[in-house]
Amino acid sequence: MIQLHNVTKQYGPFTALHSVNLELKRSEFTAILGPSGCGKTTLLKLLAGFMKPSSGEIYMDGRLSASKSELIPPEKRNIGMVFQSFALWPHMTVYDHVAFPIRHHRHTREEWKQDIVARAQHVLKLVGLEQLFDRYPSELSGGQKQRVALARAIAPLPDILLMDEPLSALDVELRMEMRNEIQRIHRETQASIIYVTHDQGEALAMADKIVVMNGGKIEQIGSPEEVYTKPETAFVASFVGKCNMIKGKWDNGQFCPEAFPWESWPDIGITDSLKKEGLCPVRPEQWQLAGGSAEGLKGTVLSVQYQGKEVHYSVEVDNEIWIVHQPIFARRFQIGDTVSVSVKAAKRIEVPVF
Amino acid sequence: MISEQSVVSDRKRSAPSLAPLFRFKKVYAAFGLLLVLLFFVLPVFRLLLLSVLEDGAWSLSHYSGVLREAATWTAVKNTVYITAGSTVLSLVLGVSLAWVMAYVHIRGKRWMQLFVFLPFIIPSYITTLAWVQFLGKSGPVSSLFGWTPDLYSMGGMIFLLGMSHYPLVYLFTIEVFRKIPRELEEAAKTAGAGKMSIFLKVMLPLALPGIASGGLLAFLSSLDNFGIPAFLGIPANIRVLSTYIYEQVVGFGPSAFARAAVLSVLLGTIALLGTFVQWLLLKKSRVTETVMPDREPRIYVSPLRQRLLEGGIWLFLVVTSFVPFAAMGALSLIKAYGLPFHLENLSLKNYQYVFLTDPKTGSALWNSVSLALLATVVCLAAGTALAYIRYRNPGFFTKLAELCITIPYALPGTVLALCMIFAWMQPVPGWNPGLYGSIWILLVAYITRFFVLQVRGSYTAFLQVDPSMEEAARTSGAHAWVRWRRVLLPLIMPGLAGGALLVFLMVLTELTVSSLLWSTGTETIGVVIFNYEQAGYTTYSTAFATVLVLAILAGGLLFTAFSSRWERKVMKKQ
Repeated sequence: MIQLHNVTKQYGPFTALHSVNLELKRSEFTAILGPSGCGKTTLLKLLAGFMKPSSGEIYMDGRLSASKSELIPPEKRNIGMVFQSFALWPHMTVYDHVAFPIRHHRHTREEWKQDIVARAQHVLKLVGLEQLFDRYPSELSGGQKQRVALARAIAPLPDILLMDEPLSALDVELRMEMRNEIQRIHRETQASIIYVTHDQGEALAMADKIVVMNGGKIEQIGSPEEVYTKPETAFVASFVGKCNMIKGKWDNGQFCPEAFPWESWPDIGITDSLKKEGLCPVRPEQWQLAGGSAEGLKGTVLSVQYQGKEVHYSVEVDNEIWIVHQPIFARRFQIGDTVSVSVKAAKRIEVPVF
Repeated sequence: MISEQSVVSDRKRSAPSLAPLFRFKKVYAAFGLLLVLLFFVLPVFRLLLLSVLEDGAWSLSHYSGVLREAATWTAVKNTVYITAGSTVLSLVLGVSLAWVMAYVHIRGKRWMQLFVFLPFIIPSYITTLAWVQFLGKSGPVSSLFGWTPDLYSMGGMIFLLGMSHYPLVYLFTIEVFRKIPRELEEAAKTAGAGKMSIFLKVMLPLALPGIASGGLLAFLSSLDNFGIPAFLGIPANIRVLSTYIYEQVVGFGPSAFARAAVLSVLLGTIALLGTFVQWLLLKKSRVTETVMPDREPRIYVSPLRQRLLEGGIWLFLVVTSFVPFAAMGALSLIKAYGLPFHLENLSLKNYQYVFLTDPKTGSALWNSVSLALLATVVCLAAGTALAYIRYRNPGFFTKLAELCITIPYALPGTVLALCMIFAWMQPVPGWNPGLYGSIWILLVAYITRFFVLQVRGSYTAFLQVDPSMEEAARTSGAHAWVRWRRVLLPLIMPGLAGGALLVFLMVLTELTVSSLLWSTGTETIGVVIFNYEQAGYTTYSTAFATVLVLAILAGGLLFTAFSSRWERKVMKKQ
């Protein structure tokens, strides 16, 4: 229902988006994931209609909604938006915030406009704020503010919900709670959600589909599991899976690391595009550590971080530093220990094809 | 109920193409910039042109004539001495007070701040009147000590200019002081720096931009000031450039306007030199500021010292900001100038004359109030519109427009008044719209001069509003009118009102521009007080000034009450 054709956005000499092509389906939860400055916020602003692309077209429900010369402004689109800073109006109560879009949104159902109070109450109940309808933003906690922002966005039941890092202003506990909340709202409203974030955990946990962006370009589009376990580019491998990138040669499904030509590693599910580049991304949990006398590459433990459910090591192997995660019950090593590092034998994981 | 998807099909989904509107946008922008150039920049060019033309031909004869006169150089010398001296005084007072108020733990800072602002909102010629009464023959100082310093001198002018403009320095510096992160000082301390080297190597370089900007503003204001040198300098035969220009114009001579234009260029050159010095000072400074000013005190002194400090500040504030006005108020009740302050000499006779007998006062009040209202409305509407455009399209053209509208405010008032005469006497050669000599030239001049105050006030108000406030309203479906009415206006209201109040007060009590542009029947409040003073009717001028001060105070208090009420009730700030 949303299509982007060769969308480019330039700010003066800086190109924020390079010819982006993207198709988003109805009722889908899409996360746009990338580091800061990757163009994800620009993409969201284009989808909201705050600005025009420098070239290319954006179609919504088959209608041209933005191009170099045309623009349907945000107030005429069937959207709702949750802002990073919440963007609550300090002079309005919780009720006013929810009633505002019900009254003014062009796509609110007529019966809701007839009885704004009933609709507002319903929405506030949905986000668990029915008790607080006469409070002002300054009287709310961070989580409550976030719920008001959500309620305001979903009140007119828009087709598309745009979310700009909505959880980044909250503390960790609250973030986990709000993840559930947003997923529930997605289930109940069936709106298409476009969720911009730099937190790969959030994207993996909530989205149906992840669009990984870097440097104004789309790196990979896929389900959370595909993006995590089958990265197509080095960037996705290191950004999403936090992989250690090992250079070497692929031959007959066996990997031969450049620094250790005598080694031969099994294919742990590497995509063809990375194989062509001669790369083998290994996620920290895919390593196996053993004592110095065991088989594998010899390395020295540089640091040990106890994390509760696992132990994180950094191990120096031939002047490279690899990050290794080991289960808590595995053998422990100390700083300075010599260890043997090897890749865990690949277990074939069937990834549901997206 | 909510689980089903919204009914999409039966919704109207028409969106007219906006392309033609955007094509118009460029035309609007060009038109707007043209207007700005016409109103704010062209007059200055007319002035420059006039100074180099003689009988329609290029000539530097005006310059050579004026520059050869010894009187010109005396005026330049006086101007330089007086502005430099008063700038130093403003800097010393403003910076030290700002430092104490920003960092030291003392009580009653809010009230102190109010007193610091008093000389800022009361026009300097009224402050001068008050001080003249305070230190005059029948004033309290004379009867207590039997001796008073002579204000009608260079020293007196330096003192009063310094006193009138130190709040500017204070305002600029205190914000900068508050924004210097306290961690920087602490970091220097943990690195082993002593108090002196912390001040010299950390605090001073960081505060320099604020100090330099405040100092420049004090310098420009002193240069521009007409009231103080007119009230104190003209009687003492000490001329500065601003009063010299005034004398040229009102004296009419064969080439009065051309000579005044040359002097204006001189005055403008000195102003530019001052700006250049500030630029030199700021060239190397790189400022990292905490976003939020830190209002917590950083220095705690012993209770005794704290009380001494508080007492000292209060003494200074009361003596400089309150006592002179009280003296003026008291002396305005004396029947005839020079009589001692005894009960039998008191009456309301002066007030009766000023407000009931003299018809000029009534018409001046009416003129000033209606001019102030008109100018405020025009500035509020057009200035806010320009500020919004500048806020939404930050770019070269809007910046240029802002620079243009700053020129008339940065120019000394006498220079601007001349520009206005040249620009509007014959805007197009051979066509005189009859503005000059009517009250409308005053309105045009006021708007031209003070427009930037409203633009700045509104722009600052817009900057306080996060763009997401408006964006949230847009994604909630609100069109422009609803966004303004329900979201933007309530949020920017105090800022708009502050700018409008400043414009209103400035116009109401304006003297410099008015003194050159008024004509019979279009006297303003400032002109009437000035004329009383020039004619020697000191008791009348003090009576009028006293009422004016009370009115300004009432206005200021009303505004403070309004904005704090607005913050509490509307903005819900605790």
